[in-house]
Parts: sequence; structure tokens; C-alpha cells
Amino acid sequence: MNVRRWSALTKRELLKIARNPAAIVTSLMLPILYLILFGQGFNFTSFLNSPYLSPAQRLQLLNQYLLGAPDYFSYFAAGMVGFVCVTATLFVGANVIFDKLFGSLKRTAASPATATDIFGARLVAGSIQPVGLAFLVLGLAILLGDVGLSGLHISATVTVAGAAEVVVAILLLSLMFAALFLALGFTIDQPQTYFALVNAINLPVLLTSAALYPWGAMPAWLQGIASYNPITLAVEVLRINFFGDAFYPYAAWVYLLGLIGWFAAMFAVATLLTRRALAPKV
Amino acid sequence: MADAIVAEGLTKVYNGSVKAVDGISFSVQEGEIYGFLGPNGAGKTTTLSMLTAVLAPTSGRATVDGLDAFKAPHELKQRIGLVFQESTADQDLTGRENLVLAAALFGVPLRETPKRVEDLMNRLALSDSADRLVKTFSGGMRRRLELAVGIIHSPHVLFLDEPTLGLDPQGRAGFWKIITELRKESGMTVFLTTHYLDEADGMCDRIAIIDHGKIVAAGTPSELKDRVGGDVVTVRPLGAGTGLEAALRALPTVTSVTMQDGSFRVKCPSGETLIPKVVGAATGLGIALAGVSLRRPSLDEVFLEFTGREFREDEGPTATDRAVFISRFQDARRGHR
Repeated sequence: MNVRRWSALTKRELLKIARNPAAIVTSLMLPILYLILFGQGFNFTSFLNSPYLSPAQRLQLLNQYLLGAPDYFSYFAAGMVGFVCVTATLFVGANVIFDKLFGSLKRTAASPATATDIFGARLVAGSIQPVGLAFLVLGLAILLGDVGLSGLHISATVTVAGAAEVVVAILLLSLMFAALFLALGFTIDQPQTYFALVNAINLPVLLTSAALYPWGAMPAWLQGIASYNPITLAVEVLRINFFGDAFYPYAAWVYLLGLIGWFAAMFAVATLLTRRALAPKV
Repeated sequence: MADAIVAEGLTKVYNGSVKAVDGISFSVQEGEIYGFLGPNGAGKTTTLSMLTAVLAPTSGRATVDGLDAFKAPHELKQRIGLVFQESTADQDLTGRENLVLAAALFGVPLRETPKRVEDLMNRLALSDSADRLVKTFSGGMRRRLELAVGIIHSPHVLFLDEPTLGLDPQGRAGFWKIITELRKESGMTVFLTTHYLDEADGMCDRIAIIDHGKIVAAGTPSELKDRVGGDVVTVRPLGAGTGLEAALRALPTVTSVTMQDGSFRVKCPSGETLIPKVVGAATGLGIALAGVSLRRPSLDEVFLEFTGREFREDEGPTATDRAVFISRFQDARRGHR
């Protein structure tokens, strides 16, 4: 990889992102609506305020369902980060298709830039935005608690190492999905096909993760699938650091290892497909 | 003089059966402007794509600037410039940003980049718009920017794929003025594809006429025109014109008579002196004429001579149609942003 080519291409991607605030707002709108509508409406923890439950029983149920989170909204807010990583990275693949349609990818492919330069620049630039958005969503979730709504309550003390784990988890998840969507973008030529496929991937991946569901409410078979889902692995790192690790079978670094594995696999497939797509047409 | 481009038996077959380029061989000398002239679908862009390592050939070989086009694609891309027929500049970047990006991609030394970008902007009359987003550029400005991107690294060989497509005559003249100057200064070899006959005639040192994937004629524009054999008088009888062909053949100085679409194409060294004799011969036979026209040797005639059909009678969308389509498509895209 040529550093100058790669950095010039990364700068191009970042300039394009910065000059398209509508895309950033759109990426933020959906998680904000989820936080304000879905998160508030589903904050079922109030059901546990039954006079028939002792405080100990209440805590036991809460921990069984939400693995140490103080309420569903806090549990869900951490899960929204996974949602943001998926929805914000899907644009990187779409941009490849639009660049194919409008010629700029043809220009880059005709230059001495290698497939690694082109793919690497898009991967990095495409992963920076979701990380920023994820922290915006977390910040907003905390602020909601200050305006009379349910908010994100971080009940554990977040250490510097813990904060670094959170950043790395979000970055790895964004990189993994950016690699997946780039692979699709380089392989597919039509935006309609791309968006159809992305929809077919997004919802099942999200719904088989622990991003939205209370863990204790999930049937055992779904828990089994969710345990290996990359979104689950990332949001568990957040939840361990935000609410404590007492109810998790592994330490945060184990989940990070799983995420590295997912990213490495997706990176390998994506680079292969990108090289194939950018090679001289046979 | 050494050869800058050599193609030997270059062939491209799509889907196992569609032969877009059919075993063509040619060479282009260093510093030459070499034109590939042909109608849409003739195989011009496919040939250019193979020579620039964008497309792999089905068979054959090609060397460009001494490099095997298919074995060393990255080294090749470093040495050549390529101007596509459509705009490939990034619409969301400014003209200057596009050029700086191209400079980085083509390895222009970092210290030289600002000066090189500034010089090109000035030369191509883009300085006033250098910091405007490309999506606000006119068609002519986009073409000039496309050229600037293609030559930012001072390539040894410049490939131009229908470079003036969609430009008005003034824009085309301006574009070619720049190419002529560049070539004079740097001795750069230029390979261009075009379907503008006047462009090929006026700009190229040598031309290859390509049709259905095969080179049907090649040479300097004057050599090709000489091969037509002088002026062509087209005689169109009102009826069947029985006996007219023999009468035309019998006229002095006529070198050949052929029939095409109900008209006789009569070749002769001087059409002006032949026309009164043609009219006289027809009158003598009692044949009324719908029209008589004189055409000087032109590439249009050359194309007709070697392919048996008019240059613009090919089916399907013309290059102009494509340019209009691209322009409307881009406008629609901008409108939906």
C-alpha cells in the first residue's frame, strides 16, 4: 500500500462526507427516533415496581433480564450503538456504486492506485463517521435523562482502559460492517440490488443480536445465535463497561477478540472481492 | 523513431461470441498523434481500454512505452495519461482538489504538486473556477479538467477516448489547440479515438479506420484520401437509369462507377469538368436526373470506400445521443441531491 495514495483517497472520502451533511443527519435521525420513541415506550422496568415484589426480587429480575443494567433504556441505549454502526456504514458501499455510475471510480481504477489503496481509504474513512455518530447517540441518550425522560444511566465506573475498550469495540464493529458493505458495493453495479441486499442483511443481523432484546427474555436458541453475532459482541463490551461485568460469562477483551475475528474474516473476503472488481475486466 | 505503442493480433471477444476487436495489429511512433476512427461500436474504446490495462484481451499482445500492457499494468498506468469520453472528475470536490488528488495518485512529487496544479489551471483557463465544486462546472470546463487530470503527471503517452464529445465547435478547437501545444512542447505520443472525421483529418498524423473490430485502412489522412482516387460525382437518376452506368463508364477521365442506394458514384480526377459531361450523357439517353453532387476526397469518402457504407449510417445511439443522456443523467442526479 502506498501511504500517499491511501491518505489522498482517504481525504477525498472524508471531504465527501463533510460536504454531505444531509447524509450525517439522516444517519442520526433513525437512532434519535429510536431513543425518543422506541426506547421510552419500551422502558418496561416500571413494571417491576410492583408492590408484590421485594427489592431483592426486583433486582434479581432486573439482572436476569438486563444483565446488570439499571433499566431497559440504559440497556437499549448501549445496543443502539450497534444499530448506528450498521446504518451509518451502509453508505460506504452505496458510495462505491454511485462512484461507479458517475465515473470517478473509473478514474481511480485507471490510476496506479492499487485495490488495497482504494479499499483501505474507503474502509478507514467509512468507519470514522459511525464512531463519531455512536458517541453522539450515547451522549444524547445520557442527556435525555436530564430532560425528564428515561436516559442512559452509567452505573459502573468507566476506567480509561474501559473507555478504550468501548472505542475499540465501536471501531471494530464499524470496520467490520464497512468491509462487508464495501465488498457488496464493489461487487454489485445497481443501487437497487445493493439496497435490497443490504435490507436483507441488516434486519436479520440486528434482530439476531442482543442490541434491542433484553437478554433474559430471549429464547435459548436465539441467545445461542446472538452470542456469536458481532453486534452482540460489541454492545456487550459497552454494557460490561457501563454496568459492570458481574452477569457476563467473559471479560470484555474476550468479546473484543471475537470482534477482531469477525473483522479479519470480513476484511479478507472484502479485499479479495475488491481486487477482483478492480482488476482489468476479462 | 521508436514505437510508443505496438499492438499485435489484439482480440477481444465478449460472452464467448461477440468479437468487439478482431485481431488488429498496428504501431504508433513516439511523438505521433494516431487516430482510431470509426462509428459507434466499431471497437475503438475496447482497443483503447486494452492498451491502457483497463480491459484484458482475449488474445494478442500490446506494448505501450516499452511495457507489456497486460503484464505490468501498474507501471503502465504510471506512464500513461487517460482522458475518458465521459467526465470522471469527482463532482463533490473542487477542480483544484481533483487535480491534487490525481497528482497524489500518479506520484507527482509532493513539492512539485502545487506549482503543477497552478500551471495546469492557468493553461486550461480553469484558474477562476479552481475552488468551485466540479458539479457547478460547464461541459467545456469539465472536459478541460479531465484533460488536466490526464496530463498532471506529464505522461509519455496520452490516450484520449472521444475527448471532445459533446463540446461545441469552439470548445473542440480550444481543446485541440492545447493538445497541439503540449505535444509540441513535450513530444508526447497521443492515441485518440474519435468519430469526428474533421477532427481525425485535422489533428492526426496517421489514422486507422476501424469497423466491426477490424482495421480496414490505415495511413496519413492524405494517403487515405489519395486511395479514394480523386473526386466523387454522385449521380441520382429519377427512374431506373437504364444504360446510364455504361454511359458514365465511357466518359473520359472516369476511373470507376459503383452503384449505391440508387445512385452512381463516379470517380474521376476533376469532378467539376466531369459534371457537364454526366448531364450531357444522361440527356442523350433521355434519363432525367434527380440530382448530381460533387464530393472532394474526404475521410467520409475514405470510410465509404473501405467499408461500403456511409460513415453515419450505423445503427444505435450516436455519440451525441450518449452525451445528451449522460448530461441529463447528471442533471437528474444533481436535482435529486
